[in-house]
Amino acid sequence: MGVGGSDSREAAFAGGAWAGDVVLEVRELCKAYVKGRLVNDHLSLALHRGEVFGLLGPNGAGKTTLVSQVIGLAKPDSGRITLEGVDIVAHPDHARRQCSYQAQTQVPISGLTARQAIELVGRVRGGRTRSVHERAGALLDRLEMGEWAGRRAETFSGGMRRLVAFCMAAVAPGRIVILDEPTNDIDPLRRRLLWQEVRELVNMGSTVLLVTHNVLEAERAVDRLAIMDRGRVVGAGTPASLKGEGAEGMQLEVVVEPRGELPPLPPFLHHTVVTGRRVIGRLAEREVGSAIQWARGLKESNAVEEYSIGPLTLEDVYLGAIGRGGSLQGEEVQDEADPA
Amino acid sequence: MKQILRSYALMLKWQALSNRPLLPLNIVVQLMIAAGFVIGIGFFYPEITPAMAKYLTTGAPTITLLMIGLVLVPQVVAMGRMAGTFEYMWSLPVPRLVFVAADATIWVLVSLPGVVLSLLMGAAYYDFSLHIQWPAIPAILLISVTGISVGYSIAHGAPNPQMANLATQVIVFSVMIFSPVMYPVEQLPGWLQAVHRALPVMYMADLSRGTLTDLEVDLGRAFAVVGAWCVAGVVVTSLLVRRRN
Repeated sequence: MGVGGSDSREAAFAGGAWAGDVVLEVRELCKAYVKGRLVNDHLSLALHRGEVFGLLGPNGAGKTTLVSQVIGLAKPDSGRITLEGVDIVAHPDHARRQCSYQAQTQVPISGLTARQAIELVGRVRGGRTRSVHERAGALLDRLEMGEWAGRRAETFSGGMRRLVAFCMAAVAPGRIVILDEPTNDIDPLRRRLLWQEVRELVNMGSTVLLVTHNVLEAERAVDRLAIMDRGRVVGAGTPASLKGEGAEGMQLEVVVEPRGELPPLPPFLHHTVVTGRRVIGRLAEREVGSAIQWARGLKESNAVEEYSIGPLTLEDVYLGAIGRGGSLQGEEVQDEADPA
Repeated sequence: MKQILRSYALMLKWQALSNRPLLPLNIVVQLMIAAGFVIGIGFFYPEITPAMAKYLTTGAPTITLLMIGLVLVPQVVAMGRMAGTFEYMWSLPVPRLVFVAADATIWVLVSLPGVVLSLLMGAAYYDFSLHIQWPAIPAILLISVTGISVGYSIAHGAPNPQMANLATQVIVFSVMIFSPVMYPVEQLPGWLQAVHRALPVMYMADLSRGTLTDLEVDLGRAFAVVGAWCVAGVVVTSLLVRRRN
C-alpha cells in the first residue's frame, strides 16, 4: 500500500517547493548482494539543497545499502547517483570529498581523545587547524561534552562514542551530511541538542540525509522524508503531506463488545484495519463530528465497548505504508484508493 | 602530492594514537622475542659455533618481520573488519592506499627495535662480527613492506575475517618450519626447493645475510625477487582496498 499518491517514487523524486535545486539524485537504483535478492529495488529519490531529508524504514529496508552506494563503499548493479550533476558511481572520490558521513557502526577512535578524533577528521576533510579547533570546541560545548573532550574514547559509553561520531561528521561538513541512526544510545537531553546541531548544519549550507527507524524523532527533525520498505520507496513527502492533513488526517479506533458483531463501517472511514475486536480507520477532519456520532451510537447500543479519535501520527502512516499495521496482523476489510 | 603527504601525516597520527595503548607493549614483546630467539638457538644447538650463530641470527630479521607482516597485521586487520573500522576509514576523503601506508609505517616502526636487538645481541652473545653495509637499510625496509603488503592482501582478500586468521596460522607454521631461513635451501626436497625459488622468503633471508654479514649471497637476485613480491603485494592490496561491494 503506497502513501502520498499513486506514484510515490515520483513524489520522492520531485515534489516540493525546492524542485529544480536538487543536490543528490538517485535514479532507478538496483543493488543485490546475493543474486536475485534486491536490497535496493529501482529506488529513486532526490535531496533538495538545504533540507533535512529523512530516510525511514524497518531493519533490512535497504537504507544503509543506499547510503553505502552514495559514499562509494558499495557499487550499484544498475541505476544512477549524481551529486550536483556529477556521476558519483563513476567518481566515488568526489562523493567522499563532498559527503561527510556518520556510520551506523562505531567509529575507530580508541586511543584518541574526543577532541583529537573530531579535529583529525576536520583536518582530513581539508579544514584549517585553527578553524577546525574552534568548530570542534563549539560542537563539544553545545552538545555538553566538554567534560569528555580530553578523555580517551576507550572509556566512553556507546552513546558518548556516537556523539563523538556525530561531531566527526559535523566538524567540517560536506555538501551532504549523511547521518545513519545518529541518536541511538544517546540520552534525551543530548538528543535534543543534537537535533539543534543538525539544523545548524543546514544553516551552514549543508543538506542532511538522515537515516533512521525512529519515526517520532524523524517527524520533528526532517523537512521531507521517504519511507522505504523491501528496497523500495513506499511513501514520500513532508510529514504533513504524508499524514494527509486536511484530507485523511484523523484516526478512529473502536473496540467491539466481546462476542459482538462487527458493525457495518461508514463510508467516510478509509484504510480500515480489523484486528480481533479492534477496528482502526482513517477519516477526514471534517468528518470528525459524524464519526463521533456514529461511534457514540454504537456505544449506546452496546455494540462497541469503547472508542477513541485523534490526529493521525506519522507512525500510523509509516506502519500503514510498510503494510504491517504495527505488530498486529491486521485483516484489511476495506481499502479504498489512496486519497492523494 | 602535497595533499597526499598531508593525508598521510594525518593518518599516521591517527594510527599512532589508535595504537597508543598497545604500541609500547608490542615493542616490548618484539624485543623479548628477539632476545628469546638469540638465547633460544643456543638450546637448540648446544655445540653452536660463531659461524652457525651468525647464520641463524641473521635469519632472525626475516622471521621477525614476516611474523609481523603475515601474522600480526592480518589479525589486526581482521579485527578491524569485524568492528567496521574500514567502513568508516574508507568513507573519508583519503586515498585508501595512503591509509594503508600510514598503518604500515606504524608496523615497520614496531618491528625495527626487535630486529636491531637480535642482531646486536646475537653478535655479542655468540662472538661473531657483523659487516653492516648501507643496503641493509633498504633491504630491511623491503622485507618489512613486502611482508606487510602480502599480509594486507591476505587480510582483505579473505572472504571473511575468520578465514584470514586461519590463513595466518598456516603461514606461521610454514615460515617457521618449512622455509629455508634458518637452514640452507639444499636441505629441502627438490620440489620444495623449486617452490621456494618462486617465493620471497628464502630471498628475504639472503637480503639480510648479504647486507649484514660477509656471507656470499646473490644480492641482485634477492632484491629483484623480493622487490617483485613487494610490488605485487602493493598492487593486490591497492585493488582489494579500492574494491566496492
